[in-house]
Amino acid sequence: MIETRGLTRRFGPRVAVDGLDLDVARGEVFGFLGPNGAGKTTTIRMLAALIAPTGGSATVAGHRLGEANREIRRRVGVLTETPGLYRRLSARDNLLFFARLYPVQEPERQVERYLKMFELWDRKDEPAGSFSKGMRQKLAIARALLHEPEILFLDEPTAGLDPEAAKTVRDLIETLRSKDRTIFLCTHNLDEADRLCDRIGLFRTRMLAVGDPVALREEMYGRRTVVHLASPSPGIEQTLDLPFVKKVERLDDRLIVSLADPDAENPALVRRLVELGADVRFVNELRVSLEDLYLDLMEGRDAKA
Amino acid sequence: MRRLRVLLLKEWRESLRNKMVVFGVVLLPLFLVGISVYMIALGEGIGDPTASIVMFNTSLMYFLLLPTIIPLAIAVYSIVGEKDQTTLEPLLATPISDLELFLGKALASVIPAVVVNWLSFGLFLAATRVVVGAVPLQALTAPWLASIFGLSPLLALFSVGVTMLVSSRASDARAAYQFSSFAILPGLVPLIIYSSQQTLVDLRLVVAEGAVLIVLCVVILYLAIRVFRREQILTRWK
Repeated sequence: MIETRGLTRRFGPRVAVDGLDLDVARGEVFGFLGPNGAGKTTTIRMLAALIAPTGGSATVAGHRLGEANREIRRRVGVLTETPGLYRRLSARDNLLFFARLYPVQEPERQVERYLKMFELWDRKDEPAGSFSKGMRQKLAIARALLHEPEILFLDEPTAGLDPEAAKTVRDLIETLRSKDRTIFLCTHNLDEADRLCDRIGLFRTRMLAVGDPVALREEMYGRRTVVHLASPSPGIEQTLDLPFVKKVERLDDRLIVSLADPDAENPALVRRLVELGADVRFVNELRVSLEDLYLDLMEGRDAKA
Repeated sequence: MRRLRVLLLKEWRESLRNKMVVFGVVLLPLFLVGISVYMIALGEGIGDPTASIVMFNTSLMYFLLLPTIIPLAIAVYSIVGEKDQTTLEPLLATPISDLELFLGKALASVIPAVVVNWLSFGLFLAATRVVVGAVPLQALTAPWLASIFGLSPLLALFSVGVTMLVSSRASDARAAYQFSSFAILPGLVPLIIYSSQQTLVDLRLVVAEGAVLIVLCVVILYLAIRVFRREQILTRWK
């Protein structure tokens, strides 16, 4: 659905996006993560045919950027960083305006459907300026969805929402994924990205890493098993002599063991530790948070080291 | 055309909910019509027929002033308002073309300006007839009518072009309003000529002014269209 090759955007001497290569498949939820000023919004603007790249090429929803920009805009929905609503117009008039611009079949019915979906129907005639931040965000999301876009660009969709409204948005993203919509999600909420995204891209002017969040962690940190010991068992990490063990670290009463295939190797590891006299309390896998991965990559640290 | 109509209707719906715009479009013309009729009544009271004709001529100039003032408020709030509400990007993300966006914004200001000006003129004539008893037709010459009906759309267009250019660089509606008011002064040259040489208002002068205004409008609109491009709006506008 989205394919970019060497996509670049310069603003004078400053490079905002540098040679982006990316493939996002139909029905995929792709998380685009990076710090403020990393070039995420510029990337979205290019992919939504709002600004032109200064280098490289891209195909969005089957249309080449620069050749069929209006068609691209017809097929994508964009939720911008700020809700951007006409404050003096009612919620209904805000949506009707956009529904008619696209155009949407039976705009009144479609607007009603989305206002009800986001529980705004009862306040449809109130000006958007009187809405709370969460309600404005919901209205903006409804606007981005009105024309049933094939690709949805969401820039911080849950920013400023209360937990309940944020859950509504996350549930909606899940629903859209099940309907084969492609979602390009920019977020600073790493937990949200971890839960929602099929793949994530860590980006700062250029793509630093891309992949499945779990696979990316494994690739960066390897897989590690934590063995919790009931007694200190001093020196046991030095006597652990199994060939598949890559590295053993001790942390108080825990052993952190790097393995290639914990699913297959954990039973033998536990057996050997017991033979060596260790009292194993329980065993679990060490999960590195996406936040750690993000910070390591952004700060240019070698995670495996 | 469909998208242009949708944008126009949205602009007007929004304008009607903006007190500053309503003041500029409705109250100001009513105020000027009231002042004009009052002046003519004063002229009648003097008892000298030339006095009432001078007053009538002076009043007619308001109808060259209104088409430059009315679109100011609409255009400023239409553009600076979009910036202030951060609605430009969602709007630009739709399939609307740059030209449709430009025309929508321009016509949303020009059409009410021209219509309100002509309606105000009609109201002025009717009120004069009621208050004074008759419209001094000898003062309502063809050059005047040509000015009010021919020049006012051009004056409105020029005013809107200037306001759009100024508003694209401004983030504050009041500042944009003030700068635009200053920038439309050249468009008021006919008014200055008429006020200084009322007896010389003839068709040749109106045609010459029309020609100058057409050139000015072409230049201003060319510049405004260049500024009204997605890329420019998203990356250069303040």
